[in-house]
Amino acid sequence: MQIQDKMMADVTLEQARKLISCLESGNLEQAREAIDGLSQIREASLFSEVGKLTRQLHEALANFQLDNKITGLAAQEIPDAKERLNYVIEMTESAANKTMDSVEECLPIAQSIKETADNLSIDWSKLYSRELKPGEFRELAARVEAFLNSVSSDSGDLTSKLNDVLLAQDYQDLTGQVIRRVITLVQDVEDNLVTLIKMFGCSEEFKKAKKNTKKIEGVEGPVIDKTREDVLTNQDDVDDLLSSLGF
Amino acid sequence: MKILVVDDFSTMRRIVKNLLRDLGFTNTAEADDGQTALPMLQNGDFDFLVTDWNMPGMQGIDLLKNVRADPNLKDLPVLMVTAEAKREQIVEAAQAGVNGYIVKPFTAGTLKEKIEKIFERIEGK
Repeated sequence: MQIQDKMMADVTLEQARKLISCLESGNLEQAREAIDGLSQIREASLFSEVGKLTRQLHEALANFQLDNKITGLAAQEIPDAKERLNYVIEMTESAANKTMDSVEECLPIAQSIKETADNLSIDWSKLYSRELKPGEFRELAARVEAFLNSVSSDSGDLTSKLNDVLLAQDYQDLTGQVIRRVITLVQDVEDNLVTLIKMFGCSEEFKKAKKNTKKIEGVEGPVIDKTREDVLTNQDDVDDLLSSLGF
Repeated sequence: MKILVVDDFSTMRRIVKNLLRDLGFTNTAEADDGQTALPMLQNGDFDFLVTDWNMPGMQGIDLLKNVRADPNLKDLPVLMVTAEAKREQIVEAAQAGVNGYIVKPFTAGTLKEKIEKIFERIEGK
């Protein structure tokens, strides 16, 4: 580019000298030719500027293809991601409920086994201390027999309900896949936003904003960032804080 | 002992209710946010309130403040069970008069310990 400018300056200088010498020698015809030559040089450099601008415009438009990608993200992929995340809420809720259904069915079974066993054990110890009358022994034997049968069928029930609990955990695999896809989408959106910020020449502000640690006011749910100093990470820290406040 | 459990997630209400039952508290009712909970408290004879913080409608901290501002409810013991764990939030809850503060996720042992501590302190008064 510099060489080109130098050449152009040389040509212009040469034409100018020619013009002066023509004017001095009174050769008006040749002087007019020299003036035409000079204006041609100007036009040529104007054309090259217009050419450069055209190329820049073309590149800017090509970059704006990105805009189409953002349109796609906003129109399709983000609504789709919202649906996917709702699916995660539904799946985890249904798994939690299935698990709790089964556990709530298991608890009274276990409770009843314990109660019957405790009662039998009291009477069983009477047998050893010879406090049982003959008729009572027959009755105790019948109760023990009934208990053994019920334990067998109850543990069958417990096994099947525990298996239900096990199967209810299958949501983890499915929701994991869905969340992983959403993470990819978030990454994609981030990349596009950063490109847009750079295109509009706001890189400096972006860098500044990245360094800023923004304070979050009010409720925000579980905090994942373990490095944050304004957040307590466990119950012991909470207890310590409360006791320092006189609790 | 009648207990009101307030949380916007039904699964969490169910967990808390189950744990309370295990501790021998069988008389429980549920509400899904402060707005539903407050009239229940005002019209019912509840002895204890377990509430989340982050809920749509009225949040737990505002429910606590409303309870303390109500002459009939001001002495009701309130246990907060929440994922909110910012230092300033815990201070805010303490200043608003919370009786106990449990951060999620929590264990059955923690719930038992905090409830026992609250009643010990009330009986000691």
